[in-house]
Amino acid sequence: MTCQEAIAILADYLEMALTPSVLEELERHFAGCEPCRAYLATYKKTRDLAAAANRVEMPEEMKRRLREFLLEQLRQNG
Amino acid sequence: MNGDDLALLASLRAGDAAALEALMRRYSSRMYRLAYGITRNQADAEEVVQDVFVTIVRKGQTFEGRAALGSWIYRVTTNAALNKRRGKRLELETSLEEHLPGFDADGHREGDRAWVLADWSATPEHELLAGEARAVLHRALDALPGHYRAVLVLRDVEELSNEQVAQIVGESVASVKSRLHRARMALREQLTRQLGSKA
Ligand SMILES: [Zn+2]
Repeated sequence: MTCQEAIAILADYLEMALTPSVLEELERHFAGCEPCRAYLATYKKTRDLAAAANRVEMPEEMKRRLREFLLEQLRQNG
Repeated sequence: MNGDDLALLASLRAGDAAALEALMRRYSSRMYRLAYGITRNQADAEEVVQDVFVTIVRKGQTFEGRAALGSWIYRVTTNAALNKRRGKRLELETSLEEHLPGFDADGHREGDRAWVLADWSATPEHELLAGEARAVLHRALDALPGHYRAVLVLRDVEELSNEQVAQIVGESVASVKSRLHRARMALREQLTRQLGSKA
C-alpha cells in the first residue's frame, strides 16, 4: 500500500468501515510510515477542531426574536 | 414520524403556542448550527431558520405521513442555506484542489521532510481554537464550497451517517464520503501550513 492509497481511505478507517484485510494492510503501512502517522494524527485533529468550531449556539437575542416572530405568525395563521 | 413530533404538529395546527415552543426547543439549535455552518453568516442563518419555521407553522398539515420531521428539517435547512449563499461570498471560495495533498509517482506525499512529518496534533484544542490558528481555521472554512461545509456539519457536528447525509443533501453516499474527506484534507493542509513549523 502506498501513502496515497493509505490517505485515500482514512475517512473509512476512522469510521471503522474497512474490511479486516484492508485494515491490516493499512495498519502495517502506518507501522512503517512516519509521515502517514503524522498525517493521520493531524487529520483526526482537524476533524475535531472543525467540529468544535462549527458547534455554534444561536445567540439568546436571536432566539428571543425568532420566538416572538413565530408566535406572531401563529396568531395570524389562526 | 416520531410520535411526539406528530402530536406537536397537530397541536400547532390548532394554534397551540406551547407546541411551537416545544418544536423550537427541539429543533432550532441544530437548524441554526447547520444554517450557520453553511452560510457562515449570523444574519443569513437567522433568516434561514426563520423561513423554515414559518413553513412549518403554515404548512404543518402537509407533514403527516412523511418521513421524520428531523430529516425534513435538515433537508430544507440545507437547501435554504445553500440558496442564501448562492451569489454571495462566492469570492471567498477558492479551488479545493490547491489545498489537497500532492503525491509523487511512487505515491509518497510531496514536500520536504519537515512538511511531511509535521504533527501539531498534540497542541491542546483550546490553543488551536484561539489566536492565529483559529483565524486560519475560519478562513479555511470560509473558503470551502457550501456543499462541502454542509456535509462537514452534518457528519462531524450532527454526527449523522453517510446514508442519512446523502438523503438530506440529495447526493450519493460516495459523493458525501468524498466531500467529507476532501474538506478535512483541505482544512488540514491549511492548518499544517500555519502550525507545522511550530509543533
Ligand atoms: Zn505512508
